[in-house]
Amino acid sequence: MNAPDNSRIVYLDYAATTPIDAAVLEEMTGCLRESASYGNPSAIHIAGRRARWKIDAAREDLARLLGCSARCLVFTSGATEADNLAIIGAARFRAHRGRHIVTVSTEHKAVLEACAALAKEGWDVTRIDPDTDGLVSPEALADALRPDTQLVSIMHVNNETGVLQDIARLGRLCRERDVLFHVDAAQSVGKLPIDVGDWPVDLLSLTAHKFHGPQGVGALYIADRAGCGVVPLLHGGSQERRLRPGTPALALIAGLGAAARIASGRMASDLVHVRRLHDRLLGGLAGLEGIRRNGSVTSNYPGIVNISAAGVEGESLMLALEPVCVSSGSACNSQSGEPSFVLKALGRTDREAQAAIRFSFGRDTHADDVDFALRRYVAAVTRLRALAPGQAA
Amino acid sequence: MSDTSRAVALGPYSAAVRRYFAEPAHGGDPDPGAGNVWTAEASEPASGAIIRLSVTTAGRRIRAMRYRVFGCPHLIAALERCCERFEGESLESLAEFDLVELMRALQVPVDKTVRMLLIEDVIRSVCKLAGRPGENETGT
Repeated sequence: MNAPDNSRIVYLDYAATTPIDAAVLEEMTGCLRESASYGNPSAIHIAGRRARWKIDAAREDLARLLGCSARCLVFTSGATEADNLAIIGAARFRAHRGRHIVTVSTEHKAVLEACAALAKEGWDVTRIDPDTDGLVSPEALADALRPDTQLVSIMHVNNETGVLQDIARLGRLCRERDVLFHVDAAQSVGKLPIDVGDWPVDLLSLTAHKFHGPQGVGALYIADRAGCGVVPLLHGGSQERRLRPGTPALALIAGLGAAARIASGRMASDLVHVRRLHDRLLGGLAGLEGIRRNGSVTSNYPGIVNISAAGVEGESLMLALEPVCVSSGSACNSQSGEPSFVLKALGRTDREAQAAIRFSFGRDTHADDVDFALRRYVAAVTRLRALAPGQAA
Repeated sequence: MSDTSRAVALGPYSAAVRRYFAEPAHGGDPDPGAGNVWTAEASEPASGAIIRLSVTTAGRRIRAMRYRVFGCPHLIAALERCCERFEGESLESLAEFDLVELMRALQVPVDKTVRMLLIEDVIRSVCKLAGRPGENETGT
């Protein structure tokens, strides 16, 4: 057998990153090529003002996507930085009121490890366990809140399972008790309708590359209301309202703005498209025994489907699926081979978690891609089960 | 293909591992009635790996080897290579199985050594069951 042909892949890993949109790329290369764009946006001369204008335009585009004022947005290097700025920054902003934070055990590591860093500084961190569908109930959140709670951080769409939390309901609980509410929306911005003007959300993180923008740029929404704020983590300049100093990455920010503009225009059609792909995948798996979907079947983003197959070893399944690009049940731990802590929190065994595969789709996915992946998956599961001893089932 | 593009294409699996993994000719159970069959099993709780090796002999000669496995591609490939290597050989040559040589040939990462030791365990068990030359010619 020859080495696999790199040119032929079926990419179903949109939750990891998405291909950059051609129009986004054009916007970015325009910024990089145009002599008028090399100005530092902080400079007051005309080159600087032109660069500043592009950044302001991108901020307006993103604000329209989120339903907020442009001045509420701070550009960052991505969702990880936005999560850290939101959690650590807001905690420090409110430290004089109390030192308790609530989050969920299935959050992204960017949230969990930011909370862990605060715990080392003496903060008390409560991690709520979701139910076996991955959902956080308002009752569970209410039980976790204390008089000294300052911040709650709950993601909108889970990156591994696609589970969709009821942000409006959870946020109302926080608002009633004057607790800041942070939402990691890295998997939902540009894909699901979000209106932070309507939502009781104080802080919201996002990244461009999850919705066909460039890697290396994201943003944090900070509500303009009393008692809400963040203390900067970096120091050294007045950029981004002093909350994220450093020369802004013009081309990346322009790319984020273009991706937001495109997403605003085609979100509904994209959502219908991924819903059809979701149904096609699940329909194709219906005849295969020992298959279990991980996460809620009623409250989810249809662009992410996480499936466990009984009697199959995860690493072998991943190799047998090539050239289909998906993520394993190790997900963010894919280098370590450790079973996903997210799936373990949903009550899956090590073996179920390790044999999980995350399929994720986007606007460029074709029905043929799903059909190809289905054929590969069914063949791989069947072949590996045939090799396994009886007790592995 | 350049070294870099080859490394990207292969990932953590050598070409040999990919070949054996894709074509596991010795997976399954031994043919009943084909001779004396010696079967051993081993497992590693940490990874959940389980292997079962069956060796069919006629006298001291290995007529067939079959395996069942729940494990990673390296484990499957290693079992497949063992079967390919020792079918037709004597039980004595199987007893001299060299795990280090096998791992080197397949370029198995060192962090999988514990899992690969399962193969040594089952081979030792099979050889023990089959006994020394002249002993135990009618095992099951």
